[in-house]
Amino acid sequence: MAALMRARSEKRAARRAGETGRRVEYLAFGLAGETYAVQIAHVAEILRFPPITTVPRAPETVLGVISVRGKLVTVVDLRRRFALPPAVVDRKSRILLCDVGTGEQIGLLVDDVQQVWRLASEEIEPAHVLGGEQASHVAGIGRPTASEGALLILLDLRPILESP
Amino acid sequence: MAEGGGGRGETSDKAREEFFSEAQELVDGLGRDLLGLDEGVKAGRVDPELINDVFRGVHTLKGLSGLFGATRMAGLSHELEDVLDDLRLGRIDVTPAVLDLLFQAVTLYAQLLAAQSGEAPEPEREVEDLLLAIGQLSQRRSGGGAGVVAHYELDPGLLGVLTEYEEHRLRANIQQGLALYRIRARFSLTTIDSSLDEIKRQARPLGEIVTYLPTGSGADADTIDLEILMASRASLQTLQQAIVGPDLVIEDVARRVDPSVRPARASAAARVASAETAVVPAEAGATSAAPPPDNGSVRSFVEPPAGPKKDSLAATPGPPAAAGSLRGPGLTRELSLRSASQTVRVDIRKLDRLMTIVGELAIVKTAIARLTDRVRRRAADPRELSIELARLNRTFERHLAQMQSGILEVRMVPLGQAFDKLARIVRQISREHDKEVHLVVTGADTELDKLIVEELSDPLMHMIRNAIDHGIEPRDERLRVGKPPVGTIALNAFQKGNHVVIEVEDDGRGMDHGALVAAAVRRGMVSTDEAKELTQGEMLALVFMPGFTTKEVATDLSGRGVGLDVAKTNIGKLGGVVDITSDVGIGTKMTITLPITLAIIHVLLVEIGAHLFAVPLASVEEAIVLHEDQVRTVEARELLTVRGTSLPICRLARLFGLPPADRDRHGPFVVIARVGARRLGFVVDELVGQQDIVIKPLGKSLKGVRGFAGATELGDQRIALVIDVAALIEEVLMPGEVRFLAAADDSGRTSVALDARRRIGRA
Repeated sequence: MAALMRARSEKRAARRAGETGRRVEYLAFGLAGETYAVQIAHVAEILRFPPITTVPRAPETVLGVISVRGKLVTVVDLRRRFALPPAVVDRKSRILLCDVGTGEQIGLLVDDVQQVWRLASEEIEPAHVLGGEQASHVAGIGRPTASEGALLILLDLRPILESP
Repeated sequence: MAEGGGGRGETSDKAREEFFSEAQELVDGLGRDLLGLDEGVKAGRVDPELINDVFRGVHTLKGLSGLFGATRMAGLSHELEDVLDDLRLGRIDVTPAVLDLLFQAVTLYAQLLAAQSGEAPEPEREVEDLLLAIGQLSQRRSGGGAGVVAHYELDPGLLGVLTEYEEHRLRANIQQGLALYRIRARFSLTTIDSSLDEIKRQARPLGEIVTYLPTGSGADADTIDLEILMASRASLQTLQQAIVGPDLVIEDVARRVDPSVRPARASAAARVASAETAVVPAEAGATSAAPPPDNGSVRSFVEPPAGPKKDSLAATPGPPAAAGSLRGPGLTRELSLRSASQTVRVDIRKLDRLMTIVGELAIVKTAIARLTDRVRRRAADPRELSIELARLNRTFERHLAQMQSGILEVRMVPLGQAFDKLARIVRQISREHDKEVHLVVTGADTELDKLIVEELSDPLMHMIRNAIDHGIEPRDERLRVGKPPVGTIALNAFQKGNHVVIEVEDDGRGMDHGALVAAAVRRGMVSTDEAKELTQGEMLALVFMPGFTTKEVATDLSGRGVGLDVAKTNIGKLGGVVDITSDVGIGTKMTITLPITLAIIHVLLVEIGAHLFAVPLASVEEAIVLHEDQVRTVEARELLTVRGTSLPICRLARLFGLPPADRDRHGPFVVIARVGARRLGFVVDELVGQQDIVIKPLGKSLKGVRGFAGATELGDQRIALVIDVAALIEEVLMPGEVRFLAAADDSGRTSVALDARRRIGRA
C-alpha cells in the first residue's frame, strides 16, 4: 500500500517536473568538503541531531537508533559508509530521513544541508564519466548551469538503504 | 493487497477485510463442525444439526464469495452445497470418505482465501480435482434404507405431508434403533410460540423432534392441537417426566406386529416408499451395537484399515475415487495453517494503533512523574501544585492500567483456535500415513496473544508431522513391543507464571542419540571430532539443524529436512524457546515456552557502561550483588555459586563490547534470568529501576543483530534496547546450537560455525 502511494507521488512529482521542463529536484548536502545530492522525493524529513542510542553488535556504519514520533529509525553515518574521515557532530549536522520504498525509513547523518537544486536532464552526467569502477551508490554528476563551477555528486539511495 | 481481487479496485479495503475475517471465521467453524461430525460417525451416530450447520456455513460462504467476486470459491461452495443437501436429506450417507472430501474442501477454502488476499496462487488444479470427486460422489446417491417407516403405525395423513428432510430424519432415526413417540398437545393461539419452544427445549436432550403438525381438531377458535412426532432412545416414562405441559399427552407409536408383511396401509405412505429407488439391507446394521463413544476430551482419529466396524452409516463403502483423491494434490502442497484473516473481532492493526496511543500515554505519564518530582524538590511554595500533580498522576496511572489490561485482553485468544486446526491436520496425516493416532488435547482454553497463536500454528504443525512420521511406530511394530496399537500424541498447554508452556508429546519410538549424530555426520553438518564433544542435549538439538533428517528417502510428510528448524526459528522470533527430551522406546517430548504477550512488558532497567538496557522481568528471577571473589572459572566459563547451586554468568559489557563507565557504581550486579530450564546470570553495572514499556521492533536494517528483542522509549527521548533473554541464554549456554541456528540465517553465509565462534569469542 505504502509502495503504491509512493509510486503515485513519484509519478506526480515526475509530472510536475515535466511541466517545468523535466527538471528533478535534488537536495544538496555537505560531506567531508564535497557536495552530494539526493532526489528530494526520497527525503521524508530533515532532522537536527537528536539523542542517539548506540546498538551493540550493529554494523560499523550504523550510528544507532533514534525515535521519530514514536517510531524507531536506524541512523547511518554516511561518512563511515563512504569510508571518509570521521567528523564531530555539531549544530550544523543534520539527519536526512530517507525512504525509497524498501519498507524502512533510514536516517543518514550529513555534515550540513545546503540547498535544493532543480536539475534538467542535460545538467546531469552519467556516473561512468568518473571512469574506473565508480561506486554503485553514485547515480551521476550534477552540473547546474545556473551556478558556475558547482558540482554535485548525485546519490542512488537504494543500495545505501538496502545495505547500510 | 488488492491485486487478488482481479481489478475490483473499487471494493473498499475495509469491506474486503471484513470479507476475509468473516470468511475465515466461517471456514474455521466448518472445520470444527466437521471434526464433531467425524467423531459422531466413529461413534456410530450422526448429529443432523451438525450437518445443517455445515450446510448453512457453506451456503453463507457461497453468498459471501459471490459478493466479493471470488468466483472459484463461490463455485466450490455451490457444488458443496449440493453434496451437503444430499447428506442432509440422506441421499448420501455420511462416510469417512465423504468426510475426507469435506475436510479437503476446508483446506482448499483456506488456500483460496490466502489466494484472494494475494499471498499465494489460486489452487486451481486442486479445486478442479475436488469438484470432480464431488461429482462422482453425487452420482452415487443412494437411499438410506427404505420401507422401515411402514413398520410403524403412523397416520398416513401425517406421512403424506412430511418434507423430504423430515422423511429422511424419520427414516434415519428408525434405522438407528430409536423409538417413535407421539406427543399431542393443545396450545393457546396467543402463546403457541413460547409453549412450543418450551417443549422443544425439554425434548432436545432426549431426542429429536421430527415434525409437528396441527391435527385439525382444535377444540375452539382460540386453541390448536398439535401432533408432535419425536424420536428418542429414552423410555416413555422418562419422556413423560421430562416433557410436561398443560394438555400434553405422550404415547408410543406402536410397531406393527409383522414387519415382513407390508400391510395395505403402507400404500398410504406411497410417497415415502417411492422416494426410495433401492432398498438397502439396513435393518441388520441398524440394530447392531454402535461402538462406545469416545472419552470426552479424546479426539479419535482411528481409521481401522480393514476394520469390521459395521454400523449402518459406514456400511456403504466409500467411493474409491473420492478416497483416492485424499492423497491427491490438495495435500502435496506445503500447507500453512495460518489464517488468511488477522481479525479477532477487532482488527489487530486498529489495536496496534491503540497500543501506540497507550505507549504515548505511558511516555506522558513518565514525564508527569518526573515533573512532579522536580517541583517537589525545588521549593515549598509549589507544594500544593506538587500534591495536585501527584494525585493527577495516580489517577492517570490507574486509568492507564485499566486501558492497558483491557486492550491486552482483547488481543488474547484461546490456543484452541490453533489446536482445532491441528486436530484436522492429525486426522489427515494419520489417514494419509496409515498410522493410528489419538490426539489428546488439554488446556485448549489457555490464552495467548492472537499474534503468537497465529504464528504458532505452523511450528506446531511441523512438530506434529514429525511426531507422526518419525515418532509413532506402525501398528505391527507397536504391538510387537507391547504398546497399545493406537499411538497417542498429547498436546498440552498451561500457563506458568508469565509464560505459556505448550508440550507436544508422543508415545512413539523416541530418538536414538547415536543415530542422530551419525546422520548429522553423514550429512556433513558436524565433523566426527565435533560429534565426540556433543552433550546429550546438543545431540537432540541436532534435529533443529536446517536440512537435518535421519530419513534417506523423503516422504510427503517429512524427511525433507525442512520443518523443525523453521519451527524453532519461528518460535525464537516470538521470544520463545524449544526444549526437547526423548527416551528410546518411550517417546519424545518437545516443550515450547512462550511469553504471554508481545505488547506491553515489565522490564528491569539496567546500566552497562554508559548505556541503558531493559531486561524483561518475565524472565528475571532476582538480582544480586556480584562479589568477584565468588566467581569460579570452569572450562572457560565463569560460574557463581548462588545458594548452593552453580550459575553460569555472562558479562554483558564484554559481550556487547562496551567501555566501562567512568563514574562510581553500586554494582556490579548479577541479574539472574531463566527461560525454560536454563538459567544465566547477566553481569551489569547498575540497576536503575522497573518500568512498563511498549516494545518496538528495530528496523529491518538491524535484523542481523542478535540479542535484542527491540527497543523502547523511556519518555525523555532516551531509548533503551530490550535484551532478548532467550536468544542470549541460547547463545551463551548452547554455543553449539547457535552455530546450527546461524545456518538458518537468510544471509546465506556458509561459514556459520566460524561466525558464531567469532561472536561468542567476543564474550
